Amino acid sequence: MSIQSLNGQGKRRLLAAILILIVIPLTILAGVFYFDDRKYYFISMLIIVYTMLPFAMVFEQRGPRARELILIAVLAALAVAGRSAFYMLPQFKPVVAIVIIAGVCLGAEAGFLVGALAGFVSNFFFGQGPWTPWQMFCFGIIGFIAGLLFQKGKLSKTRLSLCLFGGLATFFIYGGIINLGSLFMFTAEFSWGALLATYISGFWFDMIHALSTVIFLFLIARPMIEKIERVKIKYGLIEPGDEK
Amino acid sequence: MRDSFAGLHPALTFSYFVCMIACSMLVMHPIAQAIALVGAFSYSVLVKGAKALKFSFIYLLPMLLIMAVMNPAFNHQGVTILFYLKSGNPVTLESILYGVAAAVMFITMILWFSCYNAVMTSDKFIYLFGKVIPALSLVLSMVLRFVPRYIEQIKAISHAQRCIGRDMTQGNLWSRAKNGINILSMMTTWALENGMETADSMKSRGYGLPGRTTFSIFRFDGRDGILLGIMGLLAAIMGAGIMSGTVSMRFFPSIKLAPVTVWSMAVYAAYALLCMLPVIINLQEAWKWKRIESKM
Repeated sequence: MSIQSLNGQGKRRLLAAILILIVIPLTILAGVFYFDDRKYYFISMLIIVYTMLPFAMVFEQRGPRARELILIAVLAALAVAGRSAFYMLPQFKPVVAIVIIAGVCLGAEAGFLVGALAGFVSNFFFGQGPWTPWQMFCFGIIGFIAGLLFQKGKLSKTRLSLCLFGGLATFFIYGGIINLGSLFMFTAEFSWGALLATYISGFWFDMIHALSTVIFLFLIARPMIEKIERVKIKYGLIEPGDEK
Repeated sequence: MRDSFAGLHPALTFSYFVCMIACSMLVMHPIAQAIALVGAFSYSVLVKGAKALKFSFIYLLPMLLIMAVMNPAFNHQGVTILFYLKSGNPVTLESILYGVAAAVMFITMILWFSCYNAVMTSDKFIYLFGKVIPALSLVLSMVLRFVPRYIEQIKAISHAQRCIGRDMTQGNLWSRAKNGINILSMMTTWALENGMETADSMKSRGYGLPGRTTFSIFRFDGRDGILLGIMGLLAAIMGAGIMSGTVSMRFFPSIKLAPVTVWSMAVYAAYALLCMLPVIINLQEAWKWKRIESKM
């Protein structure tokens, strides 16, 4: 089912535990003591970067095979090409749909990497900015969750369940985190009122984004999953005992 | 013109931009902000010419105004009340000034990023990180190559499909959408199969063996070393300034600026030099050229 073996998970958990328990509180403390005026944005961005580190480190340590690298690169490139194909329609983007398909077909780790890479690389074409780590994290985590849920059997490859998950994940996970990030970017004093205002002003954008994900999943999920499965069988990317 | 700051070793340019973006994110003191804004703006004009000017005045200036107005609408902290909104919330001088400061900071950051995009090309990024994260930077370089290639391939497929009446521009809305999905599906197959061939070819050419080289070769020479030393020194002074609170500013409840002392002057001087470094390097290079030319 997933092309990587799962021994990366223990290591990732350890790394993540170290980061969450030691490095993140230290960063917050340093921010509180030294950077009085701009702590929210700087600290939140650092934390976002920390959360992505375990994925990168585990992936590097594992020494992935060439075919695995290529599959991830191909899917990320398709997502970026899709994003640039629809550049004239704001928020109407197939990126989340492709990331979810990657997570379902190739596993949680590959889902995260495809999402984060798609976010990073598309900004080489659209311009890097303070929003880059947030987008990388949001796309990545959606792919990761899709992979995990599929592995646990909570998400199936049917259209209905994929569309449902895609719409909800885009609206709540992507919209929820990106709006928080833009609030930190524009204001320094956190207040619930301002957060609510940010969510309200972003409502329609998130809605369009979620809707576009549902539409793209409805249309491309079946052909794309078919193709990826076919390639996995044809080139022997399935490990023995993985097939459910 | 040729940008001589971009000709430096990528390690230098990358650390410079990381340092400048972090500084402009952290410091809200008006003098430091003005220094950073001037530095970022002049370098972006130097790198991108009239395009940067247009970008600044068409997009960034209105953004600055909007952000300055938006902040007092949501933020009612501060002691100097100017007037009351219809909702009964006060508009304070502090929140307006804070809005302006946040907007200037954001714009400075965007300007630094636009310089970064122009100077740190992706091959430099991959050169720098190829040793630290080899697998991921390889994937990164592949994605960067694949994207334009896929866009070309999509064009080729849709031209071929047009010949048999199955393009995205033919038929009613339903068949157009169906044709679009078909084209995408062909694209996916092609991309995956093609990718697998690339993977096999990579393997047969020794992917994963030690001693890999990069496409672009950069040499870390004496000039890079000297500049790295200067940059490190200036950044250290600025860092010490941030840590000791010399460049800090408090907005709420009342505005309080850090006092101007000899030490803070030194910090500003260092920051100004640091922000203007790319421009200074370019000017010095241009001057050198002039001198050589006039000698001939």
